[in-house]
Amino acid sequence: MSFIKQLWKAMLKDESKSQEAIVTPYTENNERPSLQHTLEQFDDCADLVHRAYPKLQVDIVYFSPMMDMDKLTRDVLTPLLKAGEDEVSDLLEQSQFSKNEDSKQIIKGILSGQAAIFYRQSAYLVDVFGPESRAVTQSETETVITGPHDAFTERAGTNLALIRSRIRSSHLKVIRLSVGEVTKTDVFILYIEGIANMDYVHEAISRIKAIEMDAVYDTSMLIQCIEDSPKSVFPQFITSERPDAIASKLVSGRVVGLCDGSPSAFSAPTSVFEFFSSSDDYYQRWMVGTGIRLLRFVAFIITVAFTALYVSVTTYHYEMIPENLLIPLTESRSRVPFPPLYEALLMETTIELLREAGARLPTKIGQTIGIVGGIVIGQAAVQAGLTSNILIIAVAISAISSFVIPSYAMSGSIRIIRFGIIVLAGIWGNFGIAIGFTAIIIHLGGVLSLGTSYLTPIAPFKLRDWKDTFIRAPFFILDERPTQTKTPNRIRQKPRR
Amino acid sequence: MKEKLSAFHATILIYMTQVGVFSFSLPRMLAQHFGTNGWLAIFILAPFVFLNTAIIAVVYRLSKGKSVLETIEKSISKIVLFPIYLCLCCFWVTIGCLAAKEYIFIFQIIAFPSTNPMIFMFIFCVLAYLLINKGIYNIAKVSTVFYIITVWILFLFFFYYHDFKWTRLTPFIFQGGNPDKIKGFFDVYPAFLGYELTILLFPYADKKTHLMRSAFISSGLATIVYAFIALVSFGFFSLGYLKVLQYPILVLFAYVHLPLIERIENLLYGFLLFTTMITTVMNSWAAVEVGKRMFPKLKNAVLSFLIILFGYVISFIPEVLMEARRWLDYAAHIETGLAFGFPIALILLLLIQRSRGELQP
Repeated sequence: MSFIKQLWKAMLKDESKSQEAIVTPYTENNERPSLQHTLEQFDDCADLVHRAYPKLQVDIVYFSPMMDMDKLTRDVLTPLLKAGEDEVSDLLEQSQFSKNEDSKQIIKGILSGQAAIFYRQSAYLVDVFGPESRAVTQSETETVITGPHDAFTERAGTNLALIRSRIRSSHLKVIRLSVGEVTKTDVFILYIEGIANMDYVHEAISRIKAIEMDAVYDTSMLIQCIEDSPKSVFPQFITSERPDAIASKLVSGRVVGLCDGSPSAFSAPTSVFEFFSSSDDYYQRWMVGTGIRLLRFVAFIITVAFTALYVSVTTYHYEMIPENLLIPLTESRSRVPFPPLYEALLMETTIELLREAGARLPTKIGQTIGIVGGIVIGQAAVQAGLTSNILIIAVAISAISSFVIPSYAMSGSIRIIRFGIIVLAGIWGNFGIAIGFTAIIIHLGGVLSLGTSYLTPIAPFKLRDWKDTFIRAPFFILDERPTQTKTPNRIRQKPRR
Repeated sequence: MKEKLSAFHATILIYMTQVGVFSFSLPRMLAQHFGTNGWLAIFILAPFVFLNTAIIAVVYRLSKGKSVLETIEKSISKIVLFPIYLCLCCFWVTIGCLAAKEYIFIFQIIAFPSTNPMIFMFIFCVLAYLLINKGIYNIAKVSTVFYIITVWILFLFFFYYHDFKWTRLTPFIFQGGNPDKIKGFFDVYPAFLGYELTILLFPYADKKTHLMRSAFISSGLATIVYAFIALVSFGFFSLGYLKVLQYPILVLFAYVHLPLIERIENLLYGFLLFTTMITTVMNSWAAVEVGKRMFPKLKNAVLSFLIILFGYVISFIPEVLMEARRWLDYAAHIETGLAFGFPIALILLLLIQRSRGELQP
């Protein structure tokens, strides 16, 4: 009886729950900063440096690996040593030294690469952060033929500089947040005041603030914590390593996020179609850009459906093959002992293995893997009678098409879906493919990106956005910002006379 | 429900609900009932559709866009309404699932004839359930995507340009058909059904939706599409042949030959799953809307599940295509009566409420 009661209870609407979660405000216990307390906090930290100047009554505490030693010497140590006992207080009044009354802030400052200076009863923080980092180089995952080649690095400061150098506007605002209970990773939210919709900015900030995780290492990890549908196979925030791409997102009214330690930035809200555009499209002539963009959509259909269609046709629908093509296909299939489904799954899995091996190995060996996989395994598999020639072509075209999609995250999602569609095609033929597509569309219908529809501009239907979604219209036609951003400032350019 | 339907989505949603399994046999039915140039009968049926839509528009105007179920409950006790709601709920989900079952039976003419249709039906119901659960706004979004994916199929009808013979249309109108034209009217009219569910969309629309305008446009769109495919069929097939073809549209699809692929009817028929899905989903959604009034404390997901389960069980009954067709015909006749009767009854009720001063100004 109790089981039935519980089942009944589960079936009814729960009206007892309050609509809004009750959040208890976090109150900080302000404790005055002291050297002893600080050193206690960093007990057993071998990389912590404590320099004491008893004559001056000054103590400096910092993490040496995070310091720019030249800057520390130039801005802090040398002026201190040159100053007399009575001049220290005047020196510390300078603007680069910020006085702090809260011990937690001092600890936080030291952890984020600042040097803490204790003088008598006061504590100061000075920014001398400058750890060794990678130089700005070309992006390896988002290469372009024309346009800028520089890419983000792992340092958020450098990345901010790369964006600021492209958007020289005081309206570009940056909000600093901290994520990760243990890692305290800096996350920066960027937006352009007057162009970005502040609702989205606040939404992004509140979602990031709500993260209660021990560690966040990368933007890709961060966005998985703030997505609308975390169970979905599709990424709901677009990530990019390219500062020019991110700058264009900002200018179009989107919210951008940078995570310290990650060489990529995210932007939102986004739609599924945005993953098919690349900054290359805008640097080419509009016709070329449009052609390439359309080609990517064709590539998507090929990736998802081509192998599945092969399986479907060769398993259930031979009547769909024209007579001229039927003979070579049957000959090719005649030596293969497996049903087309197993044959296709075998080859698709082999391709995925080769792709993964190629991605993990150094570039030179990766090329060898490509040759071994493409020629040796492909040719040998056909000769051994494990697979048919035509399937090799189908699988190869599907694989190549999947790499045409500019976003690696989206490309990965599509490859996963492909397996599902192939299995459905193997079970129910063309009906299975239709079932697969229906399921994907139904799923996509419910996915949101920062509260906006993932299917924009199809649903909600915004025809005027199509000119920068499915095609890349000439710039004089691209006179408005995307409607998905709900920007308060829609107009991008004055109409050409 | 914060988001309201946009005019475009409402139009497509209603259109996709209208276009379904009936359209596959529409040219044959027109040929059987109306004979030569039977495609012109579409233009005789269409005014009745618009008339019915106009009646619904009067309800919309009188009720000021309020939910019609709320309007009814103002005047009639819930105890009295419960059996009516129950009948409506069961009827709508039955009609939706019968359409799905017929779609599956037709698919089995092309492929998988020996597979148990209830396996396909199960998958269909699972997908329908997933979509219903997302609410009407997402159903509208998904129907728009489905529409865009399927609309290109209409352009395939230009493939028959060279085989289309104007001589087959003859100068004679409505010769050689069923003498009982009234029966023909009632048999063909259900092809347009689906617009009557607009009456349940009132609370999900606002002024910007122009819901009734959307309903008129969608019916107009359905009229044009039906007239077009019927015209092509009448010009492509001879009248005698058209009369005996069970599903002329599928035969037309089978005629398409491309260099790399031919006999694409089973692939295209797969695409038409989208339109049937929306027909089933919208009918089931209507059942859920009524179900909510009966069991307001039940979770939507549970209610949708129970309703779809009922539909699935009901769809066990027709075991062959002809049986499903017959059931669907009966149901469609009742639905036609409901499409006219329900809004007329509502108008009377609203007028009574207005005379009593129960309607808010």
